[in-house]
Amino acid sequence: MGNKNAKPSPYDYDLVTIGGGSGGVRASRLAAADGKKVAIIELPFDPVSSESTGGFGGTCVIRGCVPKKLFVYGSHFHEEFEDAEGFGWNIHTPPKFNWQHLMAQKTKEITRLNGIYAKMLNNAGAEIFEGRGKLIDAHTVEVTDAAGHKTLLKTANTCIATGGYAFKLPIPGAELGITSDEALTLPDLPRKVCIIGGGYIAVEFAGIFNGLGAEVHLVFRQELPLRGFDEDVRAAVNENLIKRGIIVHPKCNPKSLAEASAGTITVETDSGQLTVNTVMFATGRKPNISRPDLGLSEVGVELDHGAIKVDAFSRTNVNGVWAIGDVTNRVNLTPVALMEGAAMMASAMKGRMTKPDYQYIPSAVFCQPPVASCGLSEQEAVSNGHTCDVYLASFR
Amino acid sequence: MAETAADTPMGHGYEFDLVVIGGGSGGLACSKEAAKLGAKVACLDFVTPSPQGNVWGLGGTCVNVGCIPKKLMHNAGILGESFSDAREFGWKVNNEGHDWAKMVEQIQNYIGSLNWGYRVALRDNNVEYINAKGAFEDAHTIVCTKKNGKTRTITADKVVIAVGGRPKYLGVEGDKECCITSDDVFSLPKAPGKTLCVGASYISLETAGLLSALGYEVSVLVRSVFLRGFDSEMAEKIVGHMESHGVRMIRSSVPTKFEKDGDKTKVTIKNSDFGNEIVEEYDTVVIAVGRDPCTGDLGLEKAGVVPHKSGKFEAKDEQTNVPNIYAVGDVLEQRQELTPVAIQAGQLLARRLYAGATASMDYDLVPTTVFTPLEYGCVGMSEELAAETYGADNTEAYISFFKPLEWQLNHEEHNGVPVRGDNSCYLKLITNTADSERVVGLHYLGPNAGEVVQGYAVAMKCGATKAQFDTTVGIHPTVSEEFTILSVTKRSGVDAQKKGC
Repeated sequence: MGNKNAKPSPYDYDLVTIGGGSGGVRASRLAAADGKKVAIIELPFDPVSSESTGGFGGTCVIRGCVPKKLFVYGSHFHEEFEDAEGFGWNIHTPPKFNWQHLMAQKTKEITRLNGIYAKMLNNAGAEIFEGRGKLIDAHTVEVTDAAGHKTLLKTANTCIATGGYAFKLPIPGAELGITSDEALTLPDLPRKVCIIGGGYIAVEFAGIFNGLGAEVHLVFRQELPLRGFDEDVRAAVNENLIKRGIIVHPKCNPKSLAEASAGTITVETDSGQLTVNTVMFATGRKPNISRPDLGLSEVGVELDHGAIKVDAFSRTNVNGVWAIGDVTNRVNLTPVALMEGAAMMASAMKGRMTKPDYQYIPSAVFCQPPVASCGLSEQEAVSNGHTCDVYLASFR
Repeated sequence: MAETAADTPMGHGYEFDLVVIGGGSGGLACSKEAAKLGAKVACLDFVTPSPQGNVWGLGGTCVNVGCIPKKLMHNAGILGESFSDAREFGWKVNNEGHDWAKMVEQIQNYIGSLNWGYRVALRDNNVEYINAKGAFEDAHTIVCTKKNGKTRTITADKVVIAVGGRPKYLGVEGDKECCITSDDVFSLPKAPGKTLCVGASYISLETAGLLSALGYEVSVLVRSVFLRGFDSEMAEKIVGHMESHGVRMIRSSVPTKFEKDGDKTKVTIKNSDFGNEIVEEYDTVVIAVGRDPCTGDLGLEKAGVVPHKSGKFEAKDEQTNVPNIYAVGDVLEQRQELTPVAIQAGQLLARRLYAGATASMDYDLVPTTVFTPLEYGCVGMSEELAAETYGADNTEAYISFFKPLEWQLNHEEHNGVPVRGDNSCYLKLITNTADSERVVGLHYLGPNAGEVVQGYAVAMKCGATKAQFDTTVGIHPTVSEEFTILSVTKRSGVDAQKKGC
């Protein structure tokens, strides 16, 4: 491995990656498969993330895309049963849903996938460290394991791919509310849920809880959900939320949470009060720049609005330090992190400076019915100065 | 309401500018488009009863006895299959059986609404609908014969033949008396029971598949190759999946006799390899061995139109050998028998005739889907055709086995076979390495095949290359994104089966 005639490197590693999610694993696996000496650091596995827990596979596999899609699919069956009756199937006893069964299956599946990621990295030849990673300088990463033992890794390049975390509005009583992390590990289906937020995570979970039989209240500040999406799409999604029985509270600001009787929470908003069993904050995700401490300020890595600042090649301002995925807050999607990881690997390891291409990235919101889009919204096209024709179709 | 033979705006002296014989996908599209462009149009539609006595309303094969009821019944089947998934997702659902008659009633009601919708659409577009069988007296004269025998003669400047096709019979003793075809399946009043599907066509396999998914015991009787004309590897996988899920395939065999035995039908089956004969009994026998064009009784000789020996028309740009007579849809020789092809060709023809347009129908890169329970969608060339066209050395096949995320939780087995087997879905991309690795064939075996493949047809029409597929960012988690991350080629011999995520 390696060129015998090359100058001996002062570093033990070509690449140390902090963070084993979509981007981090992609970059590390590709580099290791290419013969580079790679180490990847990730916190111990737990469905709920924290300063000391995470797991290989990252948000997507453990508490994002994968479990979300399983729950969306699971919650959709009640509609399938209705359709099936129309198609002649006899389902005389209305099917009942067992939350614990789905939860157990989901946990089994994400645990299986988490194991596969570790195996995949091993097979590629990357060295795995379980613990916290911290930059000591541009070429030294300190790993602290669960017992507190520290190891120093000397590396030519570091890639920070620590992803993001779910953020709760800093209102009184916020600690009574949960985020998507906990929502995906609840011991039982809540009878009444209040979801605070209007983004894709909020509407997806609204659909999940509603489909499984809970009473769902969706509280958001804007007039319509999915700010930033095409206006026609936002209107259609809003209409569909309402049609499916979700109680939508637009232009509504939550003020505080308080425990009411046992097992219930009262949500004070600027337009009234709601009493529910569970309050879920879907009010945004922030980059993991200090959860745990990455040593960024000591090493002088610049931030931009709370994210690690990078150029078009995913380079930070510090030579040898790269950053990809949600921690850079560019386009927070797994396939984009994969693209950024592959481009970063080519730039850092192969000397082939590669820019990820952000044009025409398709994406989907798995509300019910789901939304998919690619390219500009009508509003963006117009504000970009295009003269547009808009073709519409409404169908069933 | 009889029209007088007054001069039409186009001044040719005929009663109509355009008469379209056939109110199916192609005929209706052409009629409406021509009328929108100012032509005076009449559209004839007539359904000769099937040997079992079935007839239907305006709309042609697709709406009445093809695509639409097929897809609805297919959907009924996959809804039944989804109960297994639902249980694994925590739903306590017990399949208490399927009510065939209820399904047929719902489907026929829906088709009725479509028939009605088409009549309204023709009226709204000022197309005169004539529910009669048309036959040429000469190139500009058509005799319309109604069901009650009354006739009406109309004249036309131009005529479009869009009469479509009907299922073939084998000419085997007892076939018309004992067997049904796709003309009859979708309106069958009683549940089909134990069924034999005769034929290796997509119609036979789709029918067998949906009946099996609805809970019926099904066998398929096949003379030689399955899904002739389709990619043979994909055909093999479709059949393999059906077989492992309970559809019995009787290979290298032909039926030699059908006889009624009370309510049932006795079928004599001869094996072509060994020559032995067996007799089996079925509740229903469906013949699906191909379709014949309905051109035999059009009076073509009187118009001077010469068909191909198949009965279809070799008609470049839909033009027959007679200058004022055109043909569109399933009656065209060597053209895909698909609704969207007929519609587009019909519309483009109308525009060339009445709007001075020049655009021809492009019959290349037409996507299609076979709606067997595990669906198959494809665009472009089969692997064999690509190798033949570009040379095997210039053809690369990228492959991937996978299973949708949604199937990962289902560990149920029926008769020892996993309901949702690992690696049960498959896709392949065929490229021409001598032409910037242009994607020349795309094949997908998995759920929602039609939805998955449609968009890629646009990409291929734009000349997409493998590199463009690779640099397209995927949507996660979906199955379609697999097309953006293909790396294993057949040539490499590397195992493309998934062992993990």
